Amino acid sequence: MASVRLRGIEKRYGDNLVIKGVDLDIEDGQFVVFVGPSGCGKSTLLRMIAGLEDISGGTLELNGKVCNDVAPARRGIAMVFQSYALYPHMTVAENMGFALKLAKVPKADIEERVRRAAAALQIEHLLERKPKALSGGQRQRVAIGRAIVRKPEVFLFDEPLSNLDAALRAQTRVELAHLHRELGSTMVYVTHDQVEAMTLGQKIVVFNGGRIEQVGTPLELYERPANLFVAGFLGSPRMNVIPVSLAGEEGDATMVRLPDGSMAAVSAEVGRLAPGAALSLGVRPEHLRLASTGFGATVGLVEYLGDVTLVHVQVQGVDGMLAVKVHTGGPAPATGSRVALAFDAQQAYLFDEGGAALPAARAHAAAL
Amino acid sequence: MSTANIKSNAGWTALGAACAIVLAVLWAAPLLWALSTALRPELETVSAEFHWLPQTWTLDAFRKTLAAGNLLRWLFNSALVALGVTVVTMAISLMAAYAFSQLRFRGKGILFALAMLAFLVPFEALLVPLFRTMNQLGMINSYAGIVLPQVVSPVVIYVFKGFFDEIPADFREAAVMDGAGPLRVLWSVYLPISGNIVWAMAIVTFIAAWNNFLWPFIIVTSTDMMTIPLGLTQTYDAFGVRYAQLMAAALLGAFPVALAYILFQKKVTQGFLAASGLK
Repeated sequence: MASVRLRGIEKRYGDNLVIKGVDLDIEDGQFVVFVGPSGCGKSTLLRMIAGLEDISGGTLELNGKVCNDVAPARRGIAMVFQSYALYPHMTVAENMGFALKLAKVPKADIEERVRRAAAALQIEHLLERKPKALSGGQRQRVAIGRAIVRKPEVFLFDEPLSNLDAALRAQTRVELAHLHRELGSTMVYVTHDQVEAMTLGQKIVVFNGGRIEQVGTPLELYERPANLFVAGFLGSPRMNVIPVSLAGEEGDATMVRLPDGSMAAVSAEVGRLAPGAALSLGVRPEHLRLASTGFGATVGLVEYLGDVTLVHVQVQGVDGMLAVKVHTGGPAPATGSRVALAFDAQQAYLFDEGGAALPAARAHAAAL
Repeated sequence: MSTANIKSNAGWTALGAACAIVLAVLWAAPLLWALSTALRPELETVSAEFHWLPQTWTLDAFRKTLAAGNLLRWLFNSALVALGVTVVTMAISLMAAYAFSQLRFRGKGILFALAMLAFLVPFEALLVPLFRTMNQLGMINSYAGIVLPQVVSPVVIYVFKGFFDEIPADFREAAVMDGAGPLRVLWSVYLPISGNIVWAMAIVTFIAAWNNFLWPFIIVTSTDMMTIPLGLTQTYDAFGVRYAQLMAAALLGAFPVALAYILFQKKVTQGFLAASGLK
């Protein structure tokens, strides 16, 4: 097992700086998920840790040793690729044992380690098959098996579930979490799927434009997003954002004026912001509710998802529609009808003009 | 599909088949004529009367060609030279193509452009400088002298590079993570994946080297070092060219190449399909 420490890591392609000074500590045995939109640099950073991309600036330490120029195979790292990258001309056993063969491990030891890894992943019956004779899920297991037999200190996963169907993805997610518990190894996992990030990660690193936006546990990121980007990225459907202006303070609550002129209370500290300052109000779909009083909206679409129903509503002064999550079973409004929306002050967020989150009011923060 | 369309399609198919038969006959005619000539007595080959088939059937030309003794030596030389050219060309081209396709290094684009520029220089233009170089190296009348100038093949590099470009980089990266260096990645991963195209290029190179006349003609002066195409020019005696023996020697000389092609025909076809992206 090993810790990973990144300091001022940069990646440059010509004049184009794609990783802009990343500082990050990954502790021994931790499961860390890099998440972010396509092109944000998360996979590039993973490949830099693996040694598949040169590091243009900064230092990468593995277990306290600077490894910027250490060959990939000597870093004690194994990687599971998005495409699995199983050698098509080799059997499963040969694929799994290839690294050991190159390391000149005795044949009997290779067979034993391959057999043990195959048993752990329940793929013993596939050992003599070629990759083309395997299903997507089986290939995925073999790719993980190939990583396991090397007994690496750090596992890297580059979107390993993206080629699986939804059911298999959910099942493999659980198995990966189980594998992490069993091996106790440090694991770094790249995904653009926030569900994978939330369910697998002990620590989530949200990337955007080659920078880290926020690092924290899944709950921290979900409940205390540092900015609008993180707030919008985590959660499905994404957080509703409404442009508001600061109206003043009433006790612990901050009063904001909505586009239709109505007032709402939010538990946040506005500091020195003057009344009238432009802000963004963020409310997650599950915290927005249909009520008898509140700000007005028109129902645009109703989606029944089984356990919940999503009501998409149009609100005056807001681009696009807001999502309201209601439990299925209760009365659902008809498309085109007028409804009133409400939320609790403690379950809403305020962001300044630059998108940074305003701190929760002290009483609220203590509760969190 | 309407009846008229079906009839029209059948018409085109028949026309296509007829064209194919005509082309096949045109292609096979010289070969059949060579066989017909080789099976005649020498006197009949210079007869004023024209006959498609021998008037007297005989294997004399084959017997005399084999009895002359040189043919087996020339066959051995051709086999050695063609194998040498094929193995070295494949090794150089595979490594060059892998480097151009997969490795990152300064000046890669310029080097590749230079390699491809060799397309534009006809081999004939290099004969004199190559001969002088080989002479200075003392390689006249040597196997190395025949083989070395034939081993640089831009077209093979180009085909391999195109093929390697299509192989997902994940395979190389996975092998690098497994601890393989560039040569090991090429040998253990890229070569097996590219099996058919390598076979196709190897067969084409082998045939070209086997049939090459010009360079061996320049570099070889000793009868013992001659390859089959050169040896054929020696099939004459005091009475002039012996046509039946010449054709017999040509057929015997072509036999190993034809056999190689027949044996590996499937791999060659699959290789070309793979290179063209059709399969």
